[in-house]
Amino acid sequence: MADILGGMIKIVKSKMFALIVLLAILSTIVQIGSNGIFLHPINIRTILDMMIITGMMTIGATLLLIAGALDLSVGTVGTMAGMMFAVLLRYHHFHWAVALILCLALAAVFGLINATLVNFAKFPAFIATLGMASVAEGVSFLFSGGANVSLSDPFMRNLATGRFMNNTIPFSIIILLVFFIVYGIILSKTKFGRQIYLVGSNPTASRLVGINSRRISYILFINSSVLGAFAGIMFNSRVAAATTLGITDRQFFGLIAAILGGVSFGGGTGGLGGAFVGLLIFSAFANGMFLLRVDSFWNQAIFGMLLLVSLAFDYMRSRATYRSPRAKRKSKKTTTTA
Amino acid sequence: MPNYVEFNKISKGFPGVQALDDVSFRVQGGRICALMGENGAGKSTMLKILSGDYQADEGTIIIDGMPASYHSPHGALKASISVIYQERQLVPGLSVMENIFIEDLPKKGIRIDKAALRKMTQHILDEFELDVNPSEPVGRLSVAHQQMIEIMKAYRRDSEIIAFDEPTAPLSESEINTLFKVIRRLKEAGKVIIYVSHRMSEIFQISDDIVVLKDGKLVCELNADETTEQELITAMVGRDIGDTYAELCRNENIGEVMLEVRNLETDDVHDINLEVRAGEIVGFAGLIGAGRTELARAIFAADPISSGEIFLNGQKVNFKSPKDAIAAGMALCPEDRKEQGLVLDRTINNNITSAVLEKVKTGLFLDKKKERKLSHAAVEKYSIKTPSIEKKVVELSGGNQQKVILGRWTSEAMVTKVLILDEPTKGIDVGAKAEIYQAICDFAKAGLAVIFISSELTEVINLADRIIVMAQGRITGSLSRQEATEEKVLKLAMHH
Ligand SMILES: Nc1ncnc2c1ncn2[C@@H]1O[C@H](COP(=O)(O)OP(=O)(O)OP(=O)(O)O)[C@@H](O)[C@H]1O
Ligand SMILES: [Mg+2]
Repeated sequence: MADILGGMIKIVKSKMFALIVLLAILSTIVQIGSNGIFLHPINIRTILDMMIITGMMTIGATLLLIAGALDLSVGTVGTMAGMMFAVLLRYHHFHWAVALILCLALAAVFGLINATLVNFAKFPAFIATLGMASVAEGVSFLFSGGANVSLSDPFMRNLATGRFMNNTIPFSIIILLVFFIVYGIILSKTKFGRQIYLVGSNPTASRLVGINSRRISYILFINSSVLGAFAGIMFNSRVAAATTLGITDRQFFGLIAAILGGVSFGGGTGGLGGAFVGLLIFSAFANGMFLLRVDSFWNQAIFGMLLLVSLAFDYMRSRATYRSPRAKRKSKKTTTTA
Repeated sequence: MPNYVEFNKISKGFPGVQALDDVSFRVQGGRICALMGENGAGKSTMLKILSGDYQADEGTIIIDGMPASYHSPHGALKASISVIYQERQLVPGLSVMENIFIEDLPKKGIRIDKAALRKMTQHILDEFELDVNPSEPVGRLSVAHQQMIEIMKAYRRDSEIIAFDEPTAPLSESEINTLFKVIRRLKEAGKVIIYVSHRMSEIFQISDDIVVLKDGKLVCELNADETTEQELITAMVGRDIGDTYAELCRNENIGEVMLEVRNLETDDVHDINLEVRAGEIVGFAGLIGAGRTELARAIFAADPISSGEIFLNGQKVNFKSPKDAIAAGMALCPEDRKEQGLVLDRTINNNITSAVLEKVKTGLFLDKKKERKLSHAAVEKYSIKTPSIEKKVVELSGGNQQKVILGRWTSEAMVTKVLILDEPTKGIDVGAKAEIYQAICDFAKAGLAVIFISSELTEVINLADRIIVMAQGRITGSLSRQEATEEKVLKLAMHH
């Protein structure tokens, strides 16, 4: 009996539980506010349709945050790659696969430069990546000349908008799930994943146990850029055009989802399971704003506030764990059974 | 002025451990009370309750007859209580003077009054006979100097109640002497002083009363003058441990040269030539700043080398990073456990396997079973006190954290040829020290070349086969165990 109770208390106290409760509350509010549209299958499908774009960036952001870094250039690099992709297909008649590889390669170069700026020039990650974001914007302009480019390669379009099972489940959500699972396994079950956590928690001590933190940093920055590029291309394939704005205004979405999902800004904590729930919360929130007809001018401001709120959350959480002995003042009865 | 602090029926639990269980004792002003006990006995927990950092589950602290009413570190400071923690709390990026006066920096308008700050700091530095620049960032100082700064930070508040949690762990003889002068002055001023240390000799030098804890319970209260070291140890450990050094089972077969260093130069050490043989324990003695830690780091490729050569097993090696050094069979158990030794936010298990991740894989993935086996072995070998190997290291007591570092670097998955131990017994209790000495002898027996750095002279002299003494970044002499005496070593350590 006491065991069951103890177990339940453990569940209730866990981060994941708090997140799921948050998701449920949010859904209820939007569900009521939208007169029941929110949970309508078609709306849910719409949410799932769009999830791959933020989702890819969430994976990149999660890994970097755990390692103690961050990338503010994903959105712009993604937009640039998307633009290049459209230009190569439309004006240069590349095969989509060749174009895709070239675009991901260009994004990888941006990741490489980010990592070099951070590891060798010793720039703080946010300054280095913010700088590279401007560079990516410039390169993007060079490709497009400032004009939007339409994109209608059938395979890519199908990848971004296709669905199976009577047009219910999008391909893209399956792709995203596979990515989350594969990256989740890498993070929690492999040597590389463990090293990411160790470096993020204490870089000095990690070096002394023989971990090459530079190698990890390079891999994660490149990974972030490549996933960003993939997100950019998927976005263009969805809307059938490469726009100059692209996913630039979604720059912070991955970060927000990851932090909402319990990945800490300080490095070393969180995981992809939590990040996925964070992504669900974020997607529900974004869709909710749309359903509740929040003026799109407000969107940016509200997302900004959401970022601040999630950061405040993160701050309180880190303080709570730091001060946990005091918080546990009243819980002696449960602790002695543990 | 009847000044006293009374701990009244204090209990405190953490998940899986009862850190303190109904402990009551009283500390009188103008007397120094040593709080003793094995690693994990509950000493630091008691001091953290005193400092308002933790709240007792039950019981009260009574100051001069009044139950204390504070519930935070800030409140404790206001009640004139200062606690110097076992783990340093300094801000590495701030200067010495800013750290010392961090809670109330002198202001001139809205700006910090640098001149006044410098003057006040210099005054304290002089009192502690410490030669450091008040504007130096604390992060650049040695661990020992940082510790002195930590002590000054509490000292300058001029509190009525001062508790020291293992203040001397990273210090060597001369700093300890100045520290003791300061503590005695505080005692004469009638302050309430609580002192925690695992260095037995100190306890009898400085304390008047001794309170012994074991597994969170009060064992006894002793008068220092009427107690012998053996009696105290028996009270702490629960058994007589005998003469630690005489009972060691040492290695008799010293083999070929395993590590050779020729003409090594770095920013901190100069003209280093030394040999360590397989099966040999070479002790390093010296004062703070002598360059022992820096030498160890240079050999392990943690710091760059300007010139010189290193040979391992007769082969010249050229390590670019600790990773290469580890791959070649070197292990360095670092001195600074918070910054360099441990990943505090991770579990015991994660910390122990962190240097041997390649060895705990099955196929592509880390193998939980293999990891657990290694960690359990380490917990067993060094008797690490913990309810589970999945506990975060930050939640262990100081001495048990130290054992985790040892466990990592001496795990059976390491293929070590040269084992460098930098202050391995820092913060470890008497009973466990004896076990660690034996473990070190066993490593020598297994043919490892062991470098043993320690600021506790007795330890180096009694454990090492040969003692190398350093001063100001240079080797000033080498003595065999037979010829080494404290006087001879100290003379070489003072060498200019
Ligand atoms: N924040 C915490 N969370 C969980 N357990 C804790 C925490 N702090 C201390 N403990 C546990 O309480 C017990 C007493 O620890 P404490 O630090 O008081 O020991 P100590 O006597 O200071 O030992 P040492 O000599 O090694 O410093 C230990 O078993 C430790 O693991
Ligand atoms: Mg302690």
